[in-house]
Amino acid sequence: MRTFKQYTTDLFGGIKSLLTGLSVTWKELWTKKVTRQYPENRDMLVISDRFRAELVMPHDENNEHACTACGICEMNCPNGTIQVITKMTETEDGKKKKELDRYIYDLGMCTFCNLCVITCPSSAIKFTNHFENATFTRHKLVQQLNHEGSKLGVKKKEPTSSRPSPKEKEKSL
Amino acid sequence: MFQSYSQPLEFTNLTSWLDAALRENLPEFWAVFIELALVGVVLLAAYAVLAMILIYVERKITAFFQARIGPNRVGKYGIFQTVADVLKILIKEIIQINKVDKFLFYAAPFFMIVASVLTFGAIPFGKSLQAVDFNIGVFYVTAVSSLGIIGVLLAGWSSNNKYSMIGAMRSGAQFVSYELSAGFALMTMVVLSGTMQFSEMIENQAYCWNIFNGHISSLVAFVIYLISGHAETNRGPFDLPEAESELTAGYHTEYSGLQFGFFYLAEYLNMFIIASIAATVFLGGWMPLQISGWEGFNQLMWYIPSYIWFFGKVGVLIFLSLWVRWSFPRLRIDQLLNLEWKYLLPINLVNILVMVILVLTGLTLTDLF
Amino acid sequence: MEKIKKIILNIFADAVFEEKDKLTVTVDPQKLHELIKTLHDNEELPFDYLVYLIGMDWGEQLGVIYLLSSSQDTSKEIVVKTGTSDRENPLLYSITDLYETAHLNEREVYAMYGIRFINNPDMRRFLINDDWVGFPLRKDYDANPEINPVSVVSKDIIDTAPRIMETPDGLKEEVVNIFEADDYIINIGPQHPSTHGVMHFRTALDGEIVKKIDIHSGYIHRGIEKLSESLTYPQILHFTDRLDYLSANINRHALCMCVEKAVGIEVPMRAQYIRTIMDELNRISSHLLAWSAQTNDLGATTAFIYGMREREIILDIFDKTCGGRLIINQNVIGGVMFDIYADFQKDVKAFIPYMREKLREYDRFFSHNVIALGRMVNIGNLSKEDAVSYAVTGPAGRASGWSCDVRKYQPYALYDKVEFKEVIRAEGDSYARYMNRLDEIEESLKIIEQLIDNIPDGDFLAKTKAVIKLPEGEYFQGVEAGKGLFGVYIESRGEKTPYRLKFRSPSMALVSVMPLICKNEKISDFIGIGGSMDYVIPDIDR
Repeated sequence: MRTFKQYTTDLFGGIKSLLTGLSVTWKELWTKKVTRQYPENRDMLVISDRFRAELVMPHDENNEHACTACGICEMNCPNGTIQVITKMTETEDGKKKKELDRYIYDLGMCTFCNLCVITCPSSAIKFTNHFENATFTRHKLVQQLNHEGSKLGVKKKEPTSSRPSPKEKEKSL
Repeated sequence: MFQSYSQPLEFTNLTSWLDAALRENLPEFWAVFIELALVGVVLLAAYAVLAMILIYVERKITAFFQARIGPNRVGKYGIFQTVADVLKILIKEIIQINKVDKFLFYAAPFFMIVASVLTFGAIPFGKSLQAVDFNIGVFYVTAVSSLGIIGVLLAGWSSNNKYSMIGAMRSGAQFVSYELSAGFALMTMVVLSGTMQFSEMIENQAYCWNIFNGHISSLVAFVIYLISGHAETNRGPFDLPEAESELTAGYHTEYSGLQFGFFYLAEYLNMFIIASIAATVFLGGWMPLQISGWEGFNQLMWYIPSYIWFFGKVGVLIFLSLWVRWSFPRLRIDQLLNLEWKYLLPINLVNILVMVILVLTGLTLTDLF
Repeated sequence: MEKIKKIILNIFADAVFEEKDKLTVTVDPQKLHELIKTLHDNEELPFDYLVYLIGMDWGEQLGVIYLLSSSQDTSKEIVVKTGTSDRENPLLYSITDLYETAHLNEREVYAMYGIRFINNPDMRRFLINDDWVGFPLRKDYDANPEINPVSVVSKDIIDTAPRIMETPDGLKEEVVNIFEADDYIINIGPQHPSTHGVMHFRTALDGEIVKKIDIHSGYIHRGIEKLSESLTYPQILHFTDRLDYLSANINRHALCMCVEKAVGIEVPMRAQYIRTIMDELNRISSHLLAWSAQTNDLGATTAFIYGMREREIILDIFDKTCGGRLIINQNVIGGVMFDIYADFQKDVKAFIPYMREKLREYDRFFSHNVIALGRMVNIGNLSKEDAVSYAVTGPAGRASGWSCDVRKYQPYALYDKVEFKEVIRAEGDSYARYMNRLDEIEESLKIIEQLIDNIPDGDFLAKTKAVIKLPEGEYFQGVEAGKGLFGVYIESRGEKTPYRLKFRSPSMALVSVMPLICKNEKISDFIGIGGSMDYVIPDIDR
């Protein structure tokens, strides 16, 4: 008879566990749904400030950026996402000076490791949270970050050769 | 005339008017011919529409169980989602596969769909809304619905794919086993109602549904029928033949386009068929809830058309099936067979005996009160 | 360890010892097997756990570095080195008969360095194709793409394995069949919903029963170890997130610590707190995904979505802290890249009770479900001996009764300051592994609870030099990742790039044990066991 007893306890124990499972889904049936309706919710969408979606080079109102074309970002990038193309210009006093011509960034290659931003000595580049970067062709992912006709802004303070402490960086972000 | 007042929304008026009009204007043969053709067209249309509704409902309810909101892009609340899906499936290319057994491969989906349409015809949707009313209705339904398995087996065999093959073999074992339980559960109710004809069964349940009439024994038969019916439709937790996490898509791995659509449609319709047979046999089919003696209440109930009753009952059962499907993990093949042969079948055999005793000794509710 | 040294010197008088962080001994290849066997069978402290098997190209010599440890106390370690000067046909003795985990590792070394192992029963290349020209990790490897063009032709899989066996009349090369002639073989993977990535199991079936499994991997092999040899240490960091992407932060922690230890950088306390909390959050998210995937493998799709829902909250916290969700780039050498955000503590503290409630729900929903129990209890049994031999660490190893938590034996970051229980179960079946993960989520919550209110003020990043050069030497660092021991080995020649970098992936051990524990189980259970092992393929295909 012991086996019959076991048979019945198995049966009813099993049924009970199944009913418990059903009760969980029943409860879930009435809980708030977690789906977020993109793109309808675009206006309310909160993307965290630190979210790294795309590298940009901020320009001020005079169309000036902070990039000195030193190439440290290019050197630090682990997979050749950044290409800094420089040109030589002559300043008024006749000195030759290296200046940024084009700052090419390949979004398709980028691994968003943030090394370029933390090593940049003049905080010229940063990541933004504009995440809608889908394009139909790959070549559109290759972007020029410095605006047309932009030039190096006059800095209030000469950047030191060592990299700035991340705290300052944080503020500038 | 009394009926048209008391049951204003029944289809009986329409059908009898149509019948009379046709017979008046045409010879008997043509009248019957046109009626048959009409019934056929209406059934096929209902078949497709029902499947589409079911797919939508399932996707929506599934989503609600899973903390999602489900389809919501095509039309308000996504109600036209399945219409869009059907259109897509219709215009999809049917991929020709080289190494399949061509004849069987293309025939398999038809077995599926024909079996379920045949069963579909025998279902009483409402008062006098039944295409065929055999005097062996229950027997007929059990017989033709099991034809579908041939489609599954053929699909698995002819696909020349190892996954499909395993899926089909699992399906065969599963179907044969659970057919037994489903059949026995229905037989239990045949013992109770003393008839195999659906219309008669429903009439018998006018004041007391079978599930109450046979109390304990009916309840057990009902649960067993639901479980084995669920298993017969190959839906989770009994979806081993498909088992997407194991066999990618089981027996219909190689199918595409409309052919896959046939399998898909048949799956949903089979779910509906199982639910409607359960509703008819256990819950009084289209018969409204009536309590003998409460004439006013009964009259009120009759104002709700019979097909609403039918679809309401079926809806509840389908919801139950979805609820189960989306709550449990999948069984393994040996566990599946264990459940059938070690639990359901013995219980069923005892149950049918109990029912016979109940009926013979007059212990059913109608006999008692 | 002095005792061990004495034992070795007694038998092998010519063994060369180096006094380093870890006891290191170099032996002649002829004596290697004997030495390792002595260590393996050492009664007092058997070195029965092979942690690393690292192929090396020292320039002149090709060789192998073994890091052995004991299953009784995983903090005791000994490094054994051997090498051969024959670069044309390098042969070493296999230790597969002592450690099962050596099997796949030796095959990997063969693929990368061309060293063949005598007595290894199956000497196919692992991770790369048999027709690959050259051995990628050798220093003289020619990486010209024309030598190994991308093939667009589908190749048949040949189920034969070459091997070299030692017979009384010398070495004998032979080719063996992996399957029997009339086996019913199905390919589970590389494209399959339940292999958790591009993994390929050639599976011989007898009806529904699994007869034999042959593992093919390398479909997403990226050559990270090779790439790393030409990158600076801060640059290598971004690869670690892409190994076991579910334990991204923990992996990165390992490499950071390895470099910090080598250079001698003191990590600020605040950074240690942030690292530990983030690691534990990462572990919870990894275990949640494991739970979800396992339930999904068993056919419970709904449970899968519940798990993902809870995981989303952790990902949101990651997102706000460091701007990444999966690949979070949080740890850097010397600390963390981003300080915590203002509401970090609030968010984490809100998550803890929420997660506890959900754990109870999981328990009610799945852990005691009769169908789920039937699919997990007594399925895929892994004994403790096999777990040690196959080096199965992490929740899976602890489910076999093996106490192997790195956080306990070699505490790093703040793990020696917090209280937590090492979750150990003895059953060794799928269910034990399943329950271990749920319990570890609870332990992780406890760790976070102890730390979250005490994060000290201060710097979160130590000042480091602009160019980080590691002093000459060999450095090991292990951490407890979501799936088990994740290890980093760096050999530096004093430059800014590593001479050799090796990642010890826990998933490789988890996969290597699959043929053993799935044998004679049903094919459905093979999928279920795979879910309970919770391997991640990019971790294997480094």
